[in-house]
Amino acid sequence: MTEETTETTNTKRGVPVTTQIFIWILLVGLLALVGFGLRRAQNPMATIGKPVPQFDLVYYEGYEYNGKTEMKLSDLQGKIVVINIWASWCKPCEQEAPDLEEAWQLYKDSSDVVFIGVDYVDTPAGANEYLTKFNITFPNAPDLKSNISSILNRQMGVPETYFIDREGILRHIKIGPFASVNEIQSVIQSIE
Amino acid sequence: MFAEFGYGILVVSFLVAIYSVFAAVYGATNKSAAMVESARRSMLLVFPLLSLSAAALIYLLVNNHFEVAFVYEVTSRSMPTYLKVTAWWGGQAGSLMFWSWLLAAFTSAVTIRKWDRDIEFLPWVIVVNAITLIFFLGMVVFYENPFTRFWLVGGNVEPHMFAPLNATLFAAPDGNGLNPLLRHPGMVIHPPMLYLGFVSYVIPYSFAMAALITGRTDDRWIRLTRRWSLWAWLFLSFGLVLGGRWAYDVLGWGGYWGWDPVEIAAFMPWLTGTAFLHSVMIQEKRGLFKHWNMILVILTYSLVVFGTFLTRSGVLSSVHAFANSPIGPFFMAFVSLTLVVSIALVIWRWPILRGETEMKSMLSREALFLLNNLLFMSVLVICFWGVIFPLVSELFTGQKVTVGPPFYERATAPIFAALMFLMGVAPLSAWGHSTVQTLGRAMWKSAVAALIITAILFVTYTQNIIALIGFFLIALVLLVTLQEFWRAARARQRAQGENFLTSLSRLMGRNRRRYGGYIIHISMMLMAIGILGIEIFQKETQGSLAQGEQLNIGGYTVEYRELASWDDQGKGVNFTRAVVDVYEDGIYLGELTPRIDYYFDSQQNMTIPGNRSTFRDDLYILLVDWQPVSSMGATFKIFVNPLVNWLWIGSLLFLIGIIFAAWPDKDPAEEPVRAARSVRQTNAAD
Repeated sequence: MTEETTETTNTKRGVPVTTQIFIWILLVGLLALVGFGLRRAQNPMATIGKPVPQFDLVYYEGYEYNGKTEMKLSDLQGKIVVINIWASWCKPCEQEAPDLEEAWQLYKDSSDVVFIGVDYVDTPAGANEYLTKFNITFPNAPDLKSNISSILNRQMGVPETYFIDREGILRHIKIGPFASVNEIQSVIQSIE
Repeated sequence: MFAEFGYGILVVSFLVAIYSVFAAVYGATNKSAAMVESARRSMLLVFPLLSLSAAALIYLLVNNHFEVAFVYEVTSRSMPTYLKVTAWWGGQAGSLMFWSWLLAAFTSAVTIRKWDRDIEFLPWVIVVNAITLIFFLGMVVFYENPFTRFWLVGGNVEPHMFAPLNATLFAAPDGNGLNPLLRHPGMVIHPPMLYLGFVSYVIPYSFAMAALITGRTDDRWIRLTRRWSLWAWLFLSFGLVLGGRWAYDVLGWGGYWGWDPVEIAAFMPWLTGTAFLHSVMIQEKRGLFKHWNMILVILTYSLVVFGTFLTRSGVLSSVHAFANSPIGPFFMAFVSLTLVVSIALVIWRWPILRGETEMKSMLSREALFLLNNLLFMSVLVICFWGVIFPLVSELFTGQKVTVGPPFYERATAPIFAALMFLMGVAPLSAWGHSTVQTLGRAMWKSAVAALIITAILFVTYTQNIIALIGFFLIALVLLVTLQEFWRAARARQRAQGENFLTSLSRLMGRNRRRYGGYIIHISMMLMAIGILGIEIFQKETQGSLAQGEQLNIGGYTVEYRELASWDDQGKGVNFTRAVVDVYEDGIYLGELTPRIDYYFDSQQNMTIPGNRSTFRDDLYILLVDWQPVSSMGATFKIFVNPLVNWLWIGSLLFLIGIIFAAWPDKDPAEEPVRAARSVRQTNAAD
C-alpha cells in the first residue's frame, strides 16, 4: 500500500481525488486477487460425485503402467481407476496388500480397470522392500510433496482407497484396509 | 452435557458482543452515558463467559471425550495431560476459539482502565473490539465449532452439534492424536505467544479508529496505546523467536527460518509494528508524522487479519497451513470490511491529521527515523509481493509459482544492511537538527574501531566480502550503542557525584524506553552474528555409513557406532535412535544421538537432531534413514552451523530489552513532554 508520507507539503484539503481513486483501485485489485485465490483453494478437493481434479505422478522404477514412466490422471479416462494410498510403515496396509494384488490379477488383463498405488511419506528403500515383500505388480508411485493425497482430500491416515469411474468422477472412498478381495470386487462392480 | 454447555456459552458470548456494539453506537450517537456504560459492562462479561466455555472444552479434551470431533482429532489416550490441554490450540476449531478467548481477555482488560480523560473514545474502542470478537466468535459458532460431536445415523458416523433424528452418540475408542510436531514444549508456547501478539494489536488499532471517528486527533491515542503496542510487539517478537527455535529443534532441516508464507504472515505485522514503535516517538516529540502513524497502525492490524486469513483459508499452501476450511469467504468479508472502513476513515480525516512543524534537517533524528520507516516498508513490500506472487502467477499463467528463500534473501539483505547502518547513526543524531560534522564527531572513534575489528577478522576468520561488511556493521552498531551508555552514564556521574554503576542504573531507570531500545539494538546485532554465521558459513554433508565408518565435516569427525529401535507402548511411540561419536582433530568430544520418533496414533514421523552447541558453532546431526533388517547401515545428514548460538543469545537479550522498555514506570508524571503545543480538539463527529 503506497501512501503519501511527507507531511511537509502544505496541502490545505484532504487526499486528492486521483490518489483516492488509485488507492481504491489498488484495494479492489488486491481483494479480487485474493478472492480468486480463495475460490481456487476451495475447489480442488475431491468429493464423491464430483470430477477428481487433475494430478500427475512419476511411477517407481519397475512399477510403470503400459510402459509409461509418468502419468496424468486424464490419460486414464475411460477406465475405472482405483487409487490406493499406502506407506511401508503402515501396519494396516500390510493387511490389505495381498488382497489388493489378488484383485489386480483379476482385472489387469481387462484393460478396463487400473490400480495405482500411491506411496505416502516414505523412503524409496522402505517402499521397495514393501513392494517386494508383498509381490505387488500393479503400478505404483510416490506421493511427492503429499500432493496427491491433498488433492484427493485424504481423510484420516493410510490406507485409503479412492474409486474413480470412467468419466473421472470420484465414486467411492474406502477408509482403512479392505477385509477381502470380494470387498474390492463388489465396489468395482457397483461402479460398472 | 459439557459440549452443550460450552457451545451454549459460546452462543451467549456471541450475542452479548453483538449487543455491546449496538449499545455503544447508540450511546455514542445519542450521548447516552448509561448506554455506553451498559456496553462497557457487557464487554467485561465476555471474558469470564468465554473462560467457562474454554473450561468445558478443556474438560472434554483432558477426559478423552472422543465423541467430540475436535477432541478426537487432536488428542489420544497416550498423550500426557498437559499436552491434552495445549491441544486446545492444536487444530483449527480450537485455535480459533483460543484466539477469541485471548481477544476477549484484552477487550475486557481495556474496558477496566480509567476512562475519565478520554471518555469519548470508549464507545468506539468497544465497537471495534466487539466487532472483531463477533467475527471470530461467529467463525467458531457457525463454521468451526470445537464442540461438534459424532453421531451414528443409520450406520454412518456424521459430525453434528445436536443429535439428528434417530441418532446415537458415537465415540471412537481412541483419538487421532496431536500432530507430533506440535508435541514439543516450544510448540506449546509458540502459538499462544504469536496469537497474543496478533490479538493485542487490536487495542492500538481500536484507539486509532476511535481517534479518527471522534476527530480527536491530538496524540492522546498514541500515548494511551504506547504501552499496549510495546507489549503487543513483545509477544509477537517472542512468538517469532520461539518459532525459529522450535523449527531448529524439531523440523530437522538445520534451519530456523524458511520464508514460508505463514512465517512471513507473522513477520509482516512485526515489520510495520517495528516501524510504528519508532515513528510514534516522532509524533510525541515533534508532532510530525500523524498521517503516517495512523497508516502504520492500520497496516499492522490489517496485516494480522490478512495474514491469518491467507493461512487459515487454504489460499496459500504451507507447512503451517490448516486444513481446508469453510471459513474462507466469511474471513474474506471481514478482511475487506477492515480495509475499506479503515481507509475510508483515514481519507475522511486526512485534513485534520497534518503535522504541527516541518522537518528541518535531512540528518535530524526525525529524518533518520523516517528513513528507517521507509526501509521497513521496503522489506514489507518485498515480503508481501513474495507471499501473493503465487496467486498472481496462477491468475496470469495458470501455474502456481512459489518464490523461495533466495528471492527474499537477495532482496532484503541490502535493506537489512542499511537498517543496521541506521541503527549505528540514528542514536547519535539530535532531534530537530544534525549535520554531517556533528554526526561525524560523534561516531568516528567507533567507526575506526569497527574497521580495525573487521581487518582482524579478515586476517583471522574470513575473506568473504558480504560477511565482512556484515561484521563491520555489527561492530559499528555495538560500539556506538555501548558508547552511548558510557557517555551518558559518565556525564551523569560527573554531575551527580555517584559511582558509575549507580549512575548507569539510574540513567536507564529514568529513561526506560530509550535504553530498552538500545538493549534491543545490541541484541539485534548479536542475532545478526548468528544469522550471518548460519547463512554464509553453514556446511552440510550427507552419507550412508556402516558401523564404524566416519564422515568428516568442518574439522569434525563423526563416527557411526550403533542403532536401536524400540516401541514405547505407553507413549505410543516407536523410537529409532542412532549413536555417533564425535571427534575434533582427533580429540573425542562425546556422543550424539539423533533419532526418529514414529507416532502410532497420528502415523507421523518426527526427526530429532543430535546437536552439540558451542559459542563457535553447532554440530547438528540428523538421522535420515536406516536399514532395519540388518540395522548395520544408517544415513546421516550433518550440518555445521557456525555462530548460530548468538542468534539465541541475542533473542534472550532482545526479550530482556523489550520487557525493560515496556515495564511500567514508577511515576507516570512525565506526560506533557512537548511544551507549548496546541492541542487541537476537533469535534467534527458531533
